[in-house]
This record gives sequence, structure tokens and C-alpha cells, in this order.
Amino acid sequence: MFLNPWSLALTLCSLVVLVLGAVAAKTAVRVLRFWEPGSDSNRQIRLENEIWLSSTLVAYGLGFQIVTLILFVLAADQFCQVIVGAMCATGALLANPYGMPALLVKLSGVFFYGFWILLHQLDIRSEQYPLVRIKYLALLLLLPLLILDASLQTLYIAGIKPDIITSCCAVVFGESTGTTTNLIAGYSQQGPLVAFVGSIAGLLLAGWGLLRRWRTWLAGLYAAGWLWFFGLSLVVITTVISSYVYAMPYHKCPFCILKPEYHYFGFALYGALIPAAFFGASVAIAGLVRGKAGLGGVVDGYQRLAVKISLVLLVIFSGLSFYHYLKYLISGGEG
Amino acid sequence: MARYNLEKQLNILEYALSSLWRRRMKSLSVLLVFGAVIFLLASFQMVTQALSDKARQVLAHTPEITLQKMSAGRQEGIPLAYRDKLAGIFGIRRVVPRIWGYYFDEVRLANYTVMGMAVDEMPEGARLDTALARGTMPGPAEQGRAVIGSSITNALDLAGRDTFSLFRPDLSLKSFVVIGEFSRDTDILTNDLIVMNLADARDLFGIPGGLVSDLCVYVANPTEIETIAKKISDALPSVRVLTRPQIQKTYQAVFGWRSGFGSICLLSALAAFVILAWDKASGLSPEERREIAILKVLGWETRDILAVRFWESVIVSGLACIIGMTAAYVHVVYGAASLFRPVLMGWSVLKPDLHLLPRLAGGDILLILAFTVIPYLAATVIPAWRSATVPADSALGG
Repeated sequence: MFLNPWSLALTLCSLVVLVLGAVAAKTAVRVLRFWEPGSDSNRQIRLENEIWLSSTLVAYGLGFQIVTLILFVLAADQFCQVIVGAMCATGALLANPYGMPALLVKLSGVFFYGFWILLHQLDIRSEQYPLVRIKYLALLLLLPLLILDASLQTLYIAGIKPDIITSCCAVVFGESTGTTTNLIAGYSQQGPLVAFVGSIAGLLLAGWGLLRRWRTWLAGLYAAGWLWFFGLSLVVITTVISSYVYAMPYHKCPFCILKPEYHYFGFALYGALIPAAFFGASVAIAGLVRGKAGLGGVVDGYQRLAVKISLVLLVIFSGLSFYHYLKYLISGGEG
Repeated sequence: MARYNLEKQLNILEYALSSLWRRRMKSLSVLLVFGAVIFLLASFQMVTQALSDKARQVLAHTPEITLQKMSAGRQEGIPLAYRDKLAGIFGIRRVVPRIWGYYFDEVRLANYTVMGMAVDEMPEGARLDTALARGTMPGPAEQGRAVIGSSITNALDLAGRDTFSLFRPDLSLKSFVVIGEFSRDTDILTNDLIVMNLADARDLFGIPGGLVSDLCVYVANPTEIETIAKKISDALPSVRVLTRPQIQKTYQAVFGWRSGFGSICLLSALAAFVILAWDKASGLSPEERREIAILKVLGWETRDILAVRFWESVIVSGLACIIGMTAAYVHVVYGAASLFRPVLMGWSVLKPDLHLLPRLAGGDILLILAFTVIPYLAATVIPAWRSATVPADSALGG
């Protein structure tokens, strides 16, 4: 179903991002082949200028990718109007096997471009540009991800046929076990919820410990903890938090909270969670390049900042997550 | 640190504004063309969205299931006796017959929609009077009474009288008394409509007794629509069973298709604009080269100049979006989307006055931005980098 404004906009954005990525990759190849830090030849000066181009292109690519991520979910929400049986983005994304993978690749893309920009920002803080080769190798590795993203999205859009029967989120995330379409089946609410609260407490403690005295092992644990917490939060948002937002026990959907009916609550929730997980995990990424020439002080400063930002966002995210639950309890609901 | 960065960005923003103002003719030309492109895309998007909203509202009150008899792939009259075959299906609230068709007025060269309804049998029939500006709906016993839409009044020139006549198929005349007129609020449905009772419609069109155009099936529980539709099509294999959700989805798909088709046509305008923006951004005048060289001598870095160019693009796109979307809203709401009406509306001679009210959700704005601003930013980034890496000595040397 390409003849639809949403499909066209997504395809257009993907094309733009691919072109930007290709131009940046051209620079990357040249840098990997000809980079000579000590030289002052014409080529080296040209390459030093081109570094700016490639980093700007990746920064734009990141911005566009965030826009397409939102656009993709909203588009799925529009597509559900023409797909028989689908009532929200969940049904539309499950209409063919490429929907969910496309979404996951887009989401991970946002993290990877962010990590690349982080490497770049650390690199230009040092006069020797110590990360140039790593950075451009990473850039070349990002290119397959971009292509995968664009192809999955194209396959998904091409595969949407208005007469395919799919399930609505009440079935997919619902309580009824035994159906094969159930995404998150058989989990009791208690287990993930206890783990969720425990992880929040653990992350807060670890972050506080890190800010008091920096320990490398704890920093690694903190970053790994964030990756775990990110996955767990997505599950908990789906199974527990969302139904309190909808005020309906059987409506469990991670996408409907993005709708205007629920005051765009999901944007605040994901808008706190995704950057928090990014900064939390980036502590480890920055730590990996700490040993390079001239980066020690810069990395230390960044890591402390990243821990602070992730802790603040964690507090905001926890507040948002429990807001509807507490409101429900205070207004007389049974826990 | 954060405060320093913020101050720096604010200063760069100020410089970008002054730089745009210094080259105001160039900036203004890009701004106007960009605004026009956004105007076209946004008004197309708003019209289709308002129309599909309208269709959804209108279809909310249609019967849950409509039955039409098909023969050789074409629709023909459905026997009233089919109602008895549906009697055994649980969950059906009521089955109401309906006769409808088009009447071509050879004098005025216009098509009227004629509808014969059994108002007393419809579940909400008593409330139909609320759609009238004056009068009542014709009852089953009243012969030769009709309720008409607003442009029929004008077409038949009924200002001072309340009787009119239409030709039967054998060219004999059948006369009607106007006992009511639809309110202007329902124009999109009732503008070219003449409503009468079943017997009059059958007489006017010469349809044999025992046949009607279609049967409307009202279902009590909306979740049972699909099951009941399946049972009906098992019981009556020659009948086309249309359910309301099906019709709604078809409308959404058609509007999505039309809007996508329109967007593809407008993509050429977008491409032309992107080329213009690229060209405007790449053509550096000697003064601009000198300006950048001076900035570099003063200690500006490549990244600061890139930031200036970025802010310039953001300001131009932001202003163009505000201008384009406001113009599009005015065009759709107050201008009744006059530019795109022929594409999106039907071909009837009696067109209703359109009062469209587009609903601008955050998602639609994002869609329009993705269509226009992202290609523009992408088109200006490489020229911006070229201008930012002008070597200081070469520009000042001459």
C-alpha cells in the first residue's frame, strides 16, 4: 500500500536518510584509507574538513530517524483503519511479519546513531582526533543497519493489504493464554512489577554510588542494568502501566498511549525512558575509549554527566509510570 | 558549561537571523516558494482528512448490513419475500425495505437522488424529523408527499409554491406536494435528495410490486455484525451482503489512495523546490565567501558556521510551515478547498456547499513536516558544509 501519504512520507524519509548515509560513508572510506594525523598535505586538510560533513550528516540522520520512528508508529495507527480486524497500531504492525522487526530496527537505530555522535563529540574534544579510525569503521557498520531499516520498512508497506485479517491489541496483549498471537503471554503481573520496582531502586543506588566514588566495575554494571531495565520497562508498560492509563483492565497496548485520547501520555513516557536508557548505556561506551590519548578527562566528565542525566530521567520516568496507578488508588480503586 | 553552550547557541541564532535579514530578497524568495509547496501539500492532506472524517460520521448512522440482489454482476430489485428467510436469524433487530434511484431531469440537466423509505419501520425513524428545517417526513399512508433537499428547491424553482411533478418511465406525470425541507446542516447527504414513501417511489420508477432496491438489516449488537452477515450470505447466496465496517474501511482506503495519489503529483513540486533550495544554498556570492573568511579569521570554527546555516534552515522552514499551514487551513475552511474540489468530490451537477472542518492532530503536522522540512534540511546540509569550509586565505586574498 504505497499510495498513501503516510507510506510516501516514510519512504521519502528513508530515501533521504540513505542518501545522507551514502555520502557520509564515502567520506568514511576516504578517511580509513588516507588519514595521516601528522601530515599537512592538501588531502589531509580536505579530509579534516570532510569529517565535519560526515558528522553533520549523521547528526541529521539521527534527527530524521527519530522523526521516522514516531511517524512509523503513527502510520501504523492510520493503517489500522483499512486493515480488517485491526483497531490500533498493534494490529497494523502484526499484519505482516515485517512490521515488528522494522520497528525494533528503527528503535535500535536511534541508539546506534546516538552512540556514534557520542564518539564523535568525544573525539573532537581531543586535539589528536584519537577515535577517527574507530569512528569511521563504526560509520561503515551503521550503513547495513540503515539499509536493513529501509528494506524492512518497504517490505512492511508493500505487504499491507487492506483485506488481511489481523488481531487487535485486546487479543495480542490480552490475558487469554493459549492463543498463538499473544505477544506477552503467561506472565503474571506481580513478577515483572516487583522486578521493575527493584530495578529502579538498584539503578538509583548504583548511580548514587557512582557519583560518590567512581568504580569501573560498577559503571559497567550500571550500563548493563540500564539495558535490562529498558527491556523490562517495555514489558511492564505493556502489561501493567498501559491498562491503568486506559483505565481498562483488558486494554494492554504499548501504542495506544501515544494517541491524543490519552493526552499523548506515551510520548512523555517513552520520551523519558529512551534518552535515559541511552545515557545510562553510554556510560560503558564512553568507558571503552577512555584509554585513548587525551581522552581521560573528557570521558570522566562525560560519564558523570551521563549518570546524572540518566538518574534525573529515571526519576521522571518512575513518576510518570506510577502516576496513573496512584491516581487510581487515591480515587478509591482496589490495589 | 550548559549555560555557556546555551548562550553560544542563542548568539549563533541571533547571527543567523541577521544574516537572513541581510540577504532578505534571497531568503524571501525561498520562503515564499517553500510556503507555497507546504500550502499545497497541507491543504490536500487537510481536505482528504476532513472528508474521511465526514464520511466516518455519516456512515455511523447507516444500517449495519445492507442486502442487494445481484444478477449477472449487476444490481437488481430484491424480493420483499426474502425478509421471511431472515426471520430465523437471531440478533437481527429489524429488516427495512428501501427503494432508491436517480432521476434525471432533462430540463435542468441534473440528477436527483430519489429515495422511498418506510420511515415508520426504521428504528430511529421518528427522529428523522430533526433533520428537517420545516415540515415532517411522509408517512406510509400519505400519497404524493415528498421532503426535498435544499438545492432541489432552487432547481425546481419552488420558491412560491409547494407542488411539483416528475415523469414516470412511460412519460406520464406524477405530482408531489412538498411537506418538508431538509435543513442545510445535512447538505452533504440531502442536498440533491427527494424522500417519499415506498409506494410513491415504486409508482414513480415503475418498479413491480414485491420488489425493492435493497433491504437494510439493523443488528442489535455491533459485535455480531460479521456473524449475522455470514449467516445471511449462507441463507441467501445470490445476495450481496455489505456490512458497515466494510464500507467504512473501503472509504478510508479510497481516501487514503486519493490523498496518496495527490501527494505523488505534488512530489514533483517538492522536487522542484528542493532543487531550487539546493541551488540557492550552493551559489555563494563573493561577499558571502568573504564574510565566512572574516568569521574564520576572527576565530569561528567550521562547526559554528554549520550551526549558523542549520539555524537559518530551521528559521526558514519554521516560518514557511506557519505561513503554508495557516494558508491551507484558511483555504480549506473559508475557501471550501476550491482548488482541490474537482479532484476529490463527485461529478454531480448539484454540488452541496462544503463546510469542511479539518482536525489538525499532532501526527498530521508531523506528516506534513516529514514531507517538506526533511527534504529541505537534507538539500541544504551539503551546500552549508561547502560554505563552512571555505578557506580563510583564499577568500580574503583577492
